Amino acid sequence: MNPEIKQRGSLELTLRRLLSDRAGLVSMVFIIALVVAAVGADGIAALTGHSATAQFLATGLTPTGLPVPPSGEFLFGTDQLGRDVLVRLAHGARISLAIGVVASLLAAIIGVTVGLVAGYFGGWIDVVLGRLMDLVMSIPVLLCMLSLVAVFGPSMTLSLIVIVFFSWTTMGRVIRGQVLSLREREFVLASRSMGAGHLSIMFTDILPNLGAPIIIYTTMMVPTSIIFEATLSFLGLGIVPPAPSWGGMLAEAANNSIYMFAWWLVLFPGLALLFTTLSFNILGDALRDALDPASMRNKVQKKKKQSAGAAS
Amino acid sequence: MALAGLTLALMSSAGAFAQDAQTGGTLRVLGTAEVDRFDTVPPATADTGSFFRATTRQLINFAASTDPDEQIAPQADLADSVPVPTDEGLTYTFKLRQGANWDAPDGARQIVAGDVERGFMRLCNPFIPAPAVSYFEDLIVGFADFCAGFAGVEPTAEAMKAYIEAGAVAGIETPSDDTVIFRLKYAANDFIYLLTLPVTTPAPVEVLDYLPDSPEYRENYISNGPYTIEAYVPDTQVTLTRNPAWQAESDPLRKAYVDKIEVIAGVQPDAAMQQLQSGDGDMLYDINVPPVTVQMLTMQGDDKISTLAEGSSRMIWINTVSENNDGALRNPLVRQALNYAVNKAAIVQQLGGPEFATPLNGIFPLGILGHHDFAPYPTPDNQGDVAKARELLAEAGYPDGLSLKMPFRNAGNGAAEAQVLQASLEEAGFKIELVPTPPSDFYPRLITNFDNALNGVWDLVPSGWSPDWPGGAARSIFQPQYSYDGTHGTFNFSDYNNDAANEVAAKALATSDLAEAAKLWNEVDEIVMADPPTVPLISQTTVLYHGAGVQNFLPYAAGGNGDWTNVWLSR
Repeated sequence: MNPEIKQRGSLELTLRRLLSDRAGLVSMVFIIALVVAAVGADGIAALTGHSATAQFLATGLTPTGLPVPPSGEFLFGTDQLGRDVLVRLAHGARISLAIGVVASLLAAIIGVTVGLVAGYFGGWIDVVLGRLMDLVMSIPVLLCMLSLVAVFGPSMTLSLIVIVFFSWTTMGRVIRGQVLSLREREFVLASRSMGAGHLSIMFTDILPNLGAPIIIYTTMMVPTSIIFEATLSFLGLGIVPPAPSWGGMLAEAANNSIYMFAWWLVLFPGLALLFTTLSFNILGDALRDALDPASMRNKVQKKKKQSAGAAS
Repeated sequence: MALAGLTLALMSSAGAFAQDAQTGGTLRVLGTAEVDRFDTVPPATADTGSFFRATTRQLINFAASTDPDEQIAPQADLADSVPVPTDEGLTYTFKLRQGANWDAPDGARQIVAGDVERGFMRLCNPFIPAPAVSYFEDLIVGFADFCAGFAGVEPTAEAMKAYIEAGAVAGIETPSDDTVIFRLKYAANDFIYLLTLPVTTPAPVEVLDYLPDSPEYRENYISNGPYTIEAYVPDTQVTLTRNPAWQAESDPLRKAYVDKIEVIAGVQPDAAMQQLQSGDGDMLYDINVPPVTVQMLTMQGDDKISTLAEGSSRMIWINTVSENNDGALRNPLVRQALNYAVNKAAIVQQLGGPEFATPLNGIFPLGILGHHDFAPYPTPDNQGDVAKARELLAEAGYPDGLSLKMPFRNAGNGAAEAQVLQASLEEAGFKIELVPTPPSDFYPRLITNFDNALNGVWDLVPSGWSPDWPGGAARSIFQPQYSYDGTHGTFNFSDYNNDAANEVAAKALATSDLAEAAKLWNEVDEIVMADPPTVPLISQTTVLYHGAGVQNFLPYAAGGNGDWTNVWLSR
């Protein structure tokens, strides 16, 4: 008996591969939960009756100003100002996700455009854009950020601009490389011979072939952007208090050695940051495997070889 | 409960006296920054006071003590007694103590009256003048003239030496080697306190060959205290060793038990606290004990914590010179509303409770002659009165509130304090925009630059003040901050002036009756607060901590820390 053979579309195949990756699935679930928490942050605030910036001087702090540990009223404890850590964490997720996703998308758009133009046209355009990417990559990021903040003052917009400015280059490089090989392919030649213009070739012939790397690299850029934002806030250069952000919460925990007493101030934002970046990275991996089955086979073979080597 | 524990801790730390004093050993003092000045003339951080205590002596000084009254009682140091002014408070005659020596290059040499006068002359040198010089120009006969002439001298060691050697200050007389007479322009009851400032240290003739605090000055350092500099590695360590010219019987205030003192720079607060607890370090230099650490130590029953009231305070300055909100802050009603709105109890709580801070309602904090408990804008338990604030704001014509910009110093407790203030002010209808400012910019570039006030870069700033000397220091709070004589003062952030207050202050300075002076300063405080240029927040208490090996840890008020010259080590 021949088993029934079904014809599956590329999307379905990709989804099946994605769903069969357990780590990828778990991380996706975590990210969805995080998005729900971020969107429902106001709901959490309403449920607990604590707003993100309300200071509970009587119940959230000891008479000598120490934060109180996790309890029935404050599930994740309070911070040094008597604010609910859980509510601030949820509101911080908003900022982290918003900055992570928006910055990655913007950086992807810039990276793809620059990479596409550089790779497609080649010649002096490629040289100029290539050097531009080199230039951006060679700027010391934190130093530049410090001076920008000194001039303009810290704000969310500035953080976003800086993160985008310093993260589009990786995407640009990858896309350029891909385009260099794609533009020599027969279908491009065919389009050209049928009289298609440059724009038409770039967008209808080349771009759809770049789907996989764009999705993978954009996903991978999200955790980098989140960490970047957390770093800026940790240094006091990002989100302006009292707005909560994970990096800012960690900075407040480090300030005045309060973490020596209040472990919950480091643990919860730290774990949130860790799991979020880990999830996006694993999801990116899973997406690559799903979108590009060839690379997954290589990986499996490599793994086998490594484990064999370890056993011998 | 915690309060009782701390009181107990404070009491038991006094129990260390029971042991016999031990001589010898090396005291290790830990700091983040290095000792910034060796010379007493140029502007120095307050922490340097501990260093100057060990290497320099002044006519008058304070005893290291756990008794708050004794801490701020002027005592004879180089003078052989604290003089009573004659000539209706205009003349002070000092006899110099015999046996107090310079560690001069050619051996020990008695400190003489001419050295005292030379010390004053160096204050207004054109190379790098002393910050306290205006107090003395204002007080000592002929000193302003001397300084005016000095300002025109070329800032080289040769030219300055020539000017000092040729010149004289009319109001500082040296009839004999052991007598100095100061003549004042007007009677000032805090003149004795002014003579405790390290800037009044006498100067030996040799130092005129070097520019103040230059590498050559440091190389040829001449001490007159119990210790002198043995080695100095910039940004790393200063090592003090015994000064061979110093005689114990000539110095009633310093016992000098330890043989060497190492001041180590580059230690972070956390690391320093850990080293103190493990015994690798003994005392802290410029490091404030973090409030949380204090409370953890208190919970563990650590008895090495003590406190010191230095007359430090925190307040919010209100910008009355900008055009922001059409000059709304010029309206006294709005400033009074701010005073009603702030929750001072929350600031106290944030700093660790009543042991570490006390709500303040006037310009003179605890520990200052002139402080009194009054409440021009009373609120229940100092928690702020939102309703009253809103009422005044509406009366002033701003029923919908006001938007104000408040930069804060983004270091230590700055962010927490700013957010606590923001919370209570917003409840009262003020919309507060916080602007985090790096500590390196906050005072030097933002606040002390008057253009920023004029241009409305800030509306409110949380700020702090410590007087130049402890005790009778009302002058050192009122004059730099709350009076304006036409030239903008660096620390009077919005050119506040009140003629009625100035008049009473002048009387308070002149009277020889300290009780009357205190009463007059109280009056000054009330006049200023009726038309408030600031929102006083708290009187601050400094928390001190030391390692287990340190015995006889006595606070020295002018250094804001334990006295290096009176501790002994038992490891």
